[in-house]
Amino acid sequence: MAEPSEWTGTIGRVVLGATRGEGGTRSVQYCIGGSRDLPFLPDEVPCGKRPLIAFEICDDPALWPPVVREQVGDLAGDPAAWAREAEKAYGADLVRLHLTSTHRRQVADLEGVKRTVESVLAATTLPLIIEGSGDPAIDSDVFQRCGEAGAGERLLLGTAEADRYRSIAAAALAYGHAVIAQSPIDINLAKQLNILLREIGVPADRIVIDPYTGALGYGFEYSYSVMERIRFAALKGDADLAMPVLSAAPDSLTVREVRDAAPAERQERALSWEFHAAFPAAVAGADIVCVRHPLSVKRVRDACSALSAGLKGTPAQGGG
Amino acid sequence: MPSVTFLPAYRKIAVDPGTTILAAAQKAGIQMNVVCGGQGKCGKCVVYLKSGLADFDREKYGKYFTPEERENGACLACQTMVEGDVQVLIPESTLIQEQKILVESLGIATDLHPSVWKYALDLQPPTLEDPSPDLTRLLWGIQKKGGPVAEKIYAPLEVLRSIPAVLRDSGWKVTATVALVPGGYRLINVEKGDTAAFLYGAAVDLGTTTVVVYLRSLVDGKVLAVTSNYNRQISCGEDILSRVNYARKGGLDRLQQLAAESINTALTAAANTAGIDREEIYEVVISGNTVMTHILMGIDPAYMIEEPYVPVVRRYLTASAHRLGIGVNANAGLFVFPAVSDFIGGDVVADILAAGMAEREEVSLLIDIGTNFEVVLGNREWMFSCAGAAGPALEGGEVLFGMRANPGAIEKISLDLETLDPAYETINRVKPRGICGSGLIDLIADLLRACVIDRTGRINTSIRSPRIRQGAHFPEFVVAWAKETAIGKDIVITENDVKSLIMSKASILAACFTLMGAAGIRRDEITSIFFSGAFGNYLNKEHAIIIGLIPEVPITRIRNIGNGAVEGANIALMDRKKRRIVDDIARKIAYIELNAEASFMDEYTRATFLPHTDLSLFPDVERLLDACRIRRG
Repeated sequence: MAEPSEWTGTIGRVVLGATRGEGGTRSVQYCIGGSRDLPFLPDEVPCGKRPLIAFEICDDPALWPPVVREQVGDLAGDPAAWAREAEKAYGADLVRLHLTSTHRRQVADLEGVKRTVESVLAATTLPLIIEGSGDPAIDSDVFQRCGEAGAGERLLLGTAEADRYRSIAAAALAYGHAVIAQSPIDINLAKQLNILLREIGVPADRIVIDPYTGALGYGFEYSYSVMERIRFAALKGDADLAMPVLSAAPDSLTVREVRDAAPAERQERALSWEFHAAFPAAVAGADIVCVRHPLSVKRVRDACSALSAGLKGTPAQGGG
Repeated sequence: MPSVTFLPAYRKIAVDPGTTILAAAQKAGIQMNVVCGGQGKCGKCVVYLKSGLADFDREKYGKYFTPEERENGACLACQTMVEGDVQVLIPESTLIQEQKILVESLGIATDLHPSVWKYALDLQPPTLEDPSPDLTRLLWGIQKKGGPVAEKIYAPLEVLRSIPAVLRDSGWKVTATVALVPGGYRLINVEKGDTAAFLYGAAVDLGTTTVVVYLRSLVDGKVLAVTSNYNRQISCGEDILSRVNYARKGGLDRLQQLAAESINTALTAAANTAGIDREEIYEVVISGNTVMTHILMGIDPAYMIEEPYVPVVRRYLTASAHRLGIGVNANAGLFVFPAVSDFIGGDVVADILAAGMAEREEVSLLIDIGTNFEVVLGNREWMFSCAGAAGPALEGGEVLFGMRANPGAIEKISLDLETLDPAYETINRVKPRGICGSGLIDLIADLLRACVIDRTGRINTSIRSPRIRQGAHFPEFVVAWAKETAIGKDIVITENDVKSLIMSKASILAACFTLMGAAGIRRDEITSIFFSGAFGNYLNKEHAIIIGLIPEVPITRIRNIGNGAVEGANIALMDRKKRRIVDDIARKIAYIELNAEASFMDEYTRATFLPHTDLSLFPDVERLLDACRIRRG
């Protein structure tokens, strides 16, 4: 029997997705956070399944990793169908929709953004994460529209950063959503952003920390140690860091090692590269890990289950 | 030889063809602003070519000028070569201007134990019955007057040569001057008559920018005159690094001369004010940063700016004045404060002495802020020090409307937290031209309290006020409307300015916390925070805490020691016994290299927030900000 935990702090809880009873249309609601110990220890007892695996899709695949486009084919041009596939075929817990169409210059059709969000909400019953334009000039309008389209659904909106957080916070507060707070691989900057959000009225139970995850070989070890430090600080009682953590290493599928791989090996190389950031992130304590390769969902899930169950064997071989 | 005529003063000087206008100006004794040391990098030495032939690459340096300036023949003095007779107009902004130079200091009471004495003697002439030699007679006289024992006084040859005539010409009534030097007592002068009352000493702060001199009587300790002037080395570059580079290029002798001249100018002014003869100054105590004191002593500072950054000496230095070209009595002694490291120089050791922190049981923190900052933490048993670059923002550099503490600088400011209308004071009470460091700190503290900026310094543009607007590149806050100013433009502070200032203040606060961490000292254990230097004097202490420039301690624990460098020099001049403490400080102080300290970067990031990421370290500020937030809703 393990020694009882001596930590004084607990990770705060964030609820994502609203079912009919809660005023939404989702089939499931998740509670993330609540952990009282280090990841995968018996006393951790998070308030829900950990980690949740989010599958990332987009509404304009031009900038999306070629290995994914190759794998999903026509789905890449149809966010609604893609989201449905993520739920039914890939087995994802969440769908993370990147509104990449807003990354172009001169975005004219902001109403189209709203329609996309509505269609994805209709196509899947999973809770959604929605990523805005990343451009302060239009983010306010984008969040306004997706906030409105998903009103009552308890979306997770991304991404607030220290130099642009007001518009996303406003949308989250107005429509009852939570926000992703991203900082560049630094525990102090993560804490500062949480304070900024708190000071403009975003409650702690609406904040998910994204400490930014570098791909394996491209800074992942820094991200890992920051995730670890955030968990330590939270368990030691730092309320400004006691939020659940989201990890995504979007560069995993476009690193040189994947791009330069022989065509026959490229898919497996990509899958492997993504797995080796996503699974360790779960080990470091991430409550949500995001993946883009359809086969990564099962592989990460199997590895985590194996770890939870205390099974022997190398997790890397656990799935796929 | 071509001649260069400088307007508007019509000062004329002949130079060789190919000489730069900057060199010509230096030769003519005109002090120009040269931040980069004449490398064409700072664009400060703007002059207008009014007539004549000179070679200047307008294409290459065009970026430093407005179209209007270009049309009027603007050139950079350091990059313009004279080819024939020329007339050059020097605009006011290019000349080094009058600046607030700190001369006041605490005036700590110090016992008078000088290291030089005068003895007025009335000796018996020798006779056949008493044929003892002149020197013996003289030294016995000194001993009988309460001076050192005769055998212990060394008489150098040059003094010995003067003795027979002086004794006889004066009818055996002479005044002997004896100094205590590292080798023991030394007879340094014998003169006619009774001049015992005319014994003076000077305490000198040899700063990178300014020289301050205190002239004092060594008989009663009275301050007779205080003078200051610019360090003439400025014409060889404004900052330390450009000076070292100048020295590297064979300019060490020139820099040494300029340092001595700068001191001499201040000494002459002081002697004239006091109505004394410089020949009666028998002792000079000098404090200065490591590079300045090395240069003054003619020691090459070039190796100090390379890894591993070691100074040449870490103990006090003495020399006789004439060897360094200091214009006082040729046999007067110089005492130069020791440097600890390249960054912790004799000026900081003098600060420590002035603050008295090396003699106290309680722990104090000493902060000296300039472009570089030094922080010392400790008590009579131990001391940690560190230094770093705060960046130019706190001195008004790299801030859009920032300026040094010159006339027209807004030095104090407070905002009406409701209407956001500012009330400000400028130096010399003239129309504002810009904002200096103390004004910038006031402004940031009030912008934070008014919730105009968030804790990262970002301006909340959703607040409806004519003073908050989007500028050309960044959001900005209007401090003074064009019609109120002397420059015909709105004076603003931009979001980028606020962020530069936050980075500057963060490095200082992080340095404080790094030392406290190294020593295991909590902020409530710090019984005093001493500010040294001009910056601390004009600074609003409460605002310095609100923005997190320094750790939060009760305001009553914060004190300005003013110009600690010259104060320390004064103490060592008055009381030679304190010089032992000086060497002791230099020996025991531990220097922490911040770049090599793993925790510093973490502390720095934590400090890049107003006032700090961890508000529990700033409980009073936390209450204040809460109250403000509630008021604004």
